[in-house]
Amino acid sequence: MSEHNPDQNPLVEIDHIIHAPARLQILMMLYVVESLDYVFLKNQTGLSWGNLATHLGKLEDAGYVNIIKGYQGKKPQSQIRLTSQGRDAFKNYKSTFQQILDDLPD
Amino acid sequence: MTEKISLKDLEQGLFKDSIQDGILDIQIGLLLLMFVLPIYLSPALGDFWSSAIFLPFWFLVIFGFRAYRKKVIQPRIGTIKYGTYRKKRLMRLNIIIVIVNVIALILGVYSFFNNSALGGWAPQAMISIILLIGFSLAGYMMDTPRLYLYGVLISTAPVIGEYLYRNHGASHHGFPVTFGSLSVVLVAIGLIILTRLLRKFPLPPAESLL
Repeated sequence: MSEHNPDQNPLVEIDHIIHAPARLQILMMLYVVESLDYVFLKNQTGLSWGNLATHLGKLEDAGYVNIIKGYQGKKPQSQIRLTSQGRDAFKNYKSTFQQILDDLPD
Repeated sequence: MTEKISLKDLEQGLFKDSIQDGILDIQIGLLLLMFVLPIYLSPALGDFWSSAIFLPFWFLVIFGFRAYRKKVIQPRIGTIKYGTYRKKRLMRLNIIIVIVNVIALILGVYSFFNNSALGGWAPQAMISIILLIGFSLAGYMMDTPRLYLYGVLISTAPVIGEYLYRNHGASHHGFPVTFGSLSVVLVAIGLIILTRLLRKFPLPPAESLL
């Protein structure tokens, strides 16, 4: 039998909300700016409108992003920004994942 | 270390994508006309008014394109509010532009009142150095290498113009030829970038923005 203890598996510590490639991409972008709108995010990520809305919904439910609905003239223009909780979670994800990769043998 | 580089590159990429719409090229091209048009307006308007008329033209170019960017380009490419790093960098660029303009103004006033003291190639060399410094700093601060090339082309224009004037009989120190042709080239580059952007990014459907 293996002596491997699943509770000590470092991958368990990985934040699975962030770990999805599309959401990771979104958070990376929001990490380096103050805010973006839907159109800019869609153009940069290449996601469909539906996919983008779904991923943003999950990030908003987790408290990682804040979607501020607004209007530019008569057109809707929602700004998306990273919350402080999201910023901390992203930093934590970075260091955890870096640690896992560093611990791997060459 | 790799992460730091990639996040920096990502920020740089987002910034570039937000400004690569050709408007800057068109604006620089149109502003170069201030070295050309007053020469032809001068006989009709006089020296002062042929130059002074450029102040409202300058405002029109800057604020007209700002409105165009807001109404036409931003709905297609989206909007971005830059982070602290980029804001500081742009603030530094604005301060440098003001300083370069003040130096240019002081030198311009000095050369106007001491015309005989600045003989030979000195005025052309002064204009060239100021333009080269201004464009190089803008290229560095805005992470836009194209501006280095513009800086070299525009800063050599007064010297080439003077050469054409002295050796080939070009009028008005060669300014209409050199700055005029550069203006056409920059506006053309800007229009090509703008057209490609408008084709690549159609207006998103209104319901998708809700």
